[in-house]
Amino acid sequence: MFNKSSAASTAFSRRGFLGLTAAAASVPLLAACGGGSASQGADPNGVIKFWDMPWATPAYNDAAKKIAEGYAPESGKLKASYQTIQWNNFYQTFSSAIASKTGPSVSTGGGFQSFQFEQQGQIAYADKVVDGLKANGMFDDFLPGVLEPFKSEKGYVAVPWQLDMRVFWYRQSLFEQAGLEVPTDWSSLLEAGKALKKIGAFGFATGSGAGNNIGNHSMIMMMVNNGGGVFTKDGELDVMNDRNVEAVEFLLELVSNGIVDPASVSYTTENLNAMWRDKKAAFGPYVLGVPERVGDTSGDIMVASPLAGPHGDKGGLVFPNNIMMYTNTPSQESSEAFLIHYMGQLKELWKQKLMNALPVFKSITEIPEFASDPNNVKIVKEWQPIAKTFASQGNVLSDKLAVLDGGQALNQFTQTILTGKTDAKSALQTFQSGLESVLKK
Amino acid sequence: MSLTTAQKGLNRARRGVAPSGAGEPSGPTNRTSKLSAQTSRTFFWLLLPSIVLLVLIHGYPLIHAGVQATHDGSLIETGNFVGAENFATVLSSPAFWKAAQFTLLFTIVGVFGSWLVGLGLALLLRTKIPAGGTFKVLLLLPWVVPIVVSSTAWNWLVATPDSLIPSLFRHLGLGAPLFLADPTLAAITVMVFKVWVSFPFMMMMISAALASVDSTVYEAASMDGASRWQQFSQITLPLIARSTYISWILMTIFCVNDFPTIYLLTGGGPVDATTSLVVLAYRTVFQDFATGPGIAIAFLMTMTLVVISVILYRQIRKSSVE
Amino acid sequence: MSTVVHAHPESGPALGVANDGKSRRILSEAGHRGQWWRFLAILVITAIVLVPIMVTVVLALTPGTTSTTTGLTFENFGKVFSGTLASTWLQNSLITTLATVFVSVAVAAPAGYVLSRGRSKAVSGYSLLLFVMQSLPIITSVVPLFILFAGMGLVDNLMGLTIIYVGSTMTVATWMMAAYFDSIPMSLEEASWIDGCSVFGSFTKVVLRNSLPGILSTAIFAFLLAWNDYLVAIVFLRSSEIFTLPMGVQSFFQQNQTDWTSVMALAVIMMLPPVIVFAALNKYFSVGGIGGSLAGR
Repeated sequence: MFNKSSAASTAFSRRGFLGLTAAAASVPLLAACGGGSASQGADPNGVIKFWDMPWATPAYNDAAKKIAEGYAPESGKLKASYQTIQWNNFYQTFSSAIASKTGPSVSTGGGFQSFQFEQQGQIAYADKVVDGLKANGMFDDFLPGVLEPFKSEKGYVAVPWQLDMRVFWYRQSLFEQAGLEVPTDWSSLLEAGKALKKIGAFGFATGSGAGNNIGNHSMIMMMVNNGGGVFTKDGELDVMNDRNVEAVEFLLELVSNGIVDPASVSYTTENLNAMWRDKKAAFGPYVLGVPERVGDTSGDIMVASPLAGPHGDKGGLVFPNNIMMYTNTPSQESSEAFLIHYMGQLKELWKQKLMNALPVFKSITEIPEFASDPNNVKIVKEWQPIAKTFASQGNVLSDKLAVLDGGQALNQFTQTILTGKTDAKSALQTFQSGLESVLKK
Repeated sequence: MSLTTAQKGLNRARRGVAPSGAGEPSGPTNRTSKLSAQTSRTFFWLLLPSIVLLVLIHGYPLIHAGVQATHDGSLIETGNFVGAENFATVLSSPAFWKAAQFTLLFTIVGVFGSWLVGLGLALLLRTKIPAGGTFKVLLLLPWVVPIVVSSTAWNWLVATPDSLIPSLFRHLGLGAPLFLADPTLAAITVMVFKVWVSFPFMMMMISAALASVDSTVYEAASMDGASRWQQFSQITLPLIARSTYISWILMTIFCVNDFPTIYLLTGGGPVDATTSLVVLAYRTVFQDFATGPGIAIAFLMTMTLVVISVILYRQIRKSSVE
Repeated sequence: MSTVVHAHPESGPALGVANDGKSRRILSEAGHRGQWWRFLAILVITAIVLVPIMVTVVLALTPGTTSTTTGLTFENFGKVFSGTLASTWLQNSLITTLATVFVSVAVAAPAGYVLSRGRSKAVSGYSLLLFVMQSLPIITSVVPLFILFAGMGLVDNLMGLTIIYVGSTMTVATWMMAAYFDSIPMSLEEASWIDGCSVFGSFTKVVLRNSLPGILSTAIFAFLLAWNDYLVAIVFLRSSEIFTLPMGVQSFFQQNQTDWTSVMALAVIMMLPPVIVFAALNKYFSVGGIGGSLAGR
């Protein structure tokens, strides 16, 4: 085929054929590495694929895997398989999998992912799951208000399974050292911040560097704290309201007084953790489980009570993480049966102290493994009832919030505020037009 | 005076370096007459695997990108055809031009910065140095370390006021620079990081090119009284010109297309100060979920890159005919 | 049979390894004192350049937060190997990378030969096309590629990943090989044709046989690209048993906490194979390395 020369055909056997031998050598190698696929795609119809994120340490995923794979369905329903999906580029991973019909039947994921994929017609509504939870009594066990945000006109887009909260934390010893009371409202935060600065600590620890969205959340949290928020009750964009302006002016005041670390704008989560660990951070918004996260469980780092804004408003942020089902499933009934079962097993994860989030069920908040931590109790008692979602001032979630949460507009706004070289109104104006341009479609 | 003698040495050197010559004066005509019947068929088979791969791995996504850039869909659905609307949106957005500007600066500094450092080290390593081989391998490390890791290490060195390098500056009485928080410094830091990652590649390219230079040229030139600088500019530089052009092209592509170096160190911030076109494309597609405009950015970037590559490519052709 | 033509390394400086000594000798007359000054200079530069690397190594040797050990320790490496799938990942990375290197060279060498010897418009057009087509950034092409490969059952396995790596290294690799072949005198092939070799026969017997430095530098380029990639792997690989090392590093980045000592330990493990390859092939870079071969273009 290559040629008809006899000289060349004898040459085929020669050892000089580096290229060919290399090609030949690689064939078995490739065959060997193809091995993984055979078992993977053996029977795509035989199992409910459940995809989960690394929500905490690897021990969490091990435990969740055990729950999913230990599921023994009633006859006629399918078993479940478990797959951890990395956070890095996860939207890419889900999109490409769904587009190629190799995606999951059931999954956790980004906070607003279910709404995004619902828009694209990929989500199976969870009404029957909710019915199932009503039937087995778990429906009444939900903490107040956690399920409503998922109810769309067409049905429940997803089912919440944990609440990722943003609350204020403080380091007791720094306040003692500065001879201060822990702030209870915005003005005392400002005064405390000024005093803390004298002992080299920061009164509003946050960060907005590569991959860190705590800074973004801090901005919205302060707006919500002041009774503001980015959307109206009807879900319309409402960036320029007075409460937001006031909140941003306050944030800028914190920045200009050096109460926010000037390098915050570039802090990754690791930098922010170090700030808490190294006793540079005295007060600030963060996720649950800060002591474990920064490796200081001496009890010095504690949850503060919600602050009162200038008009007496209180508020925190909550991201109701949820489990969604997809239309691309071998059996919708099996997806539903698995999800109902999985919801019933969640308690196990908090029992093993694997979670950095609030449970959605009252009964789990009462188990000793959870309730023995005073910070947890305080969050459930003081923060959960007043916590609002990104949809604030409204409370219906939508795919718009994904753009707000991860998008460039909020990140630019946050970084502009943290660098302090702006005024509240013009920063909000830019923020609004940035959001408008991506949301207009 | 010494200029002309150096020129002579230069010509000698050129002949010495490429005895077979890139011009190939006699070869092709001979061969084509002898084997032309067989040649084109064989050539086709030799090219076939690369053609298949090119179509599959590069052609298909390029066409797909073309479709996405002219539609209003998501990553999952194609959506409706919108013509050049996405391009119009992108081209009228100040963020695009700001990113284009940064990309240009980042690329220029990345290419020439790494080239200069690589050249300096290659020249130094060419001389006799104890343990020179070890240094050469050690200096390749920045290129070898995964960016996920080296960006973390760099973050540790510069991110907070108490990090190693800011503390060093403070002790030297140079103030307390915030290398990632100040927009200008962040841009500089990202570029320095890029040069740090890329110079070993340049060093390797230039070392190899220098190694094929016949040392007698220099002996002749210095006997003729050419100064060090003259030797460098009249002999060394022209001799490594072709490999320099090639390394510039490759590095231009590496810089323009570079995503992790920037994204992992600064995320494109503060406030877009280090957002290049690839980062902007990524954020537009995967964070703003605006697939069409995001892909349009990547498409425009690719086209620009192609134009630059073709110009530089011509330059190489010219320099090899010379 | 008796017509195998050997190109002598000495037949042209661009070909062989023989003039290594010559270049090393340059400026040696500057004397021993200069030599030590230069040594000092390169030592200082290397030390500065390697600070971020040293940070990585030191962190890899620092005991983790849960450890009772003080001082530097190798326990992170033990922890990574026993507590995670690191050895599997290492194996996967080696398989993928070596397969990429072999196939990439096997595809690029013949194509590069055509680019080097072909003088038709079609060939030079293809040469440019190779260059142009690879300019689309991988982050935008990875999703369509995934959808395409999923249809062929090539996702979540190392084979699909390898094909992508071969495709993305192949373009530059072809150029590199072409540039190297340019430096091989045509007279060698002509001699073999006269002896009755076909074009293909003389390519494999004469040209390839004398192209080891070019092949090695191309191989190293492919090696580094495949070894360090995570942008493709993160979309293509799901199951932790088939992760490559960069994916393994990624998997240590959790929602709320990252195990930095493990990340760094794995990073050091990741650094070793390329360093070994560089050290082993060091002498080829001085003569026939990437630049040397490209310089012939």
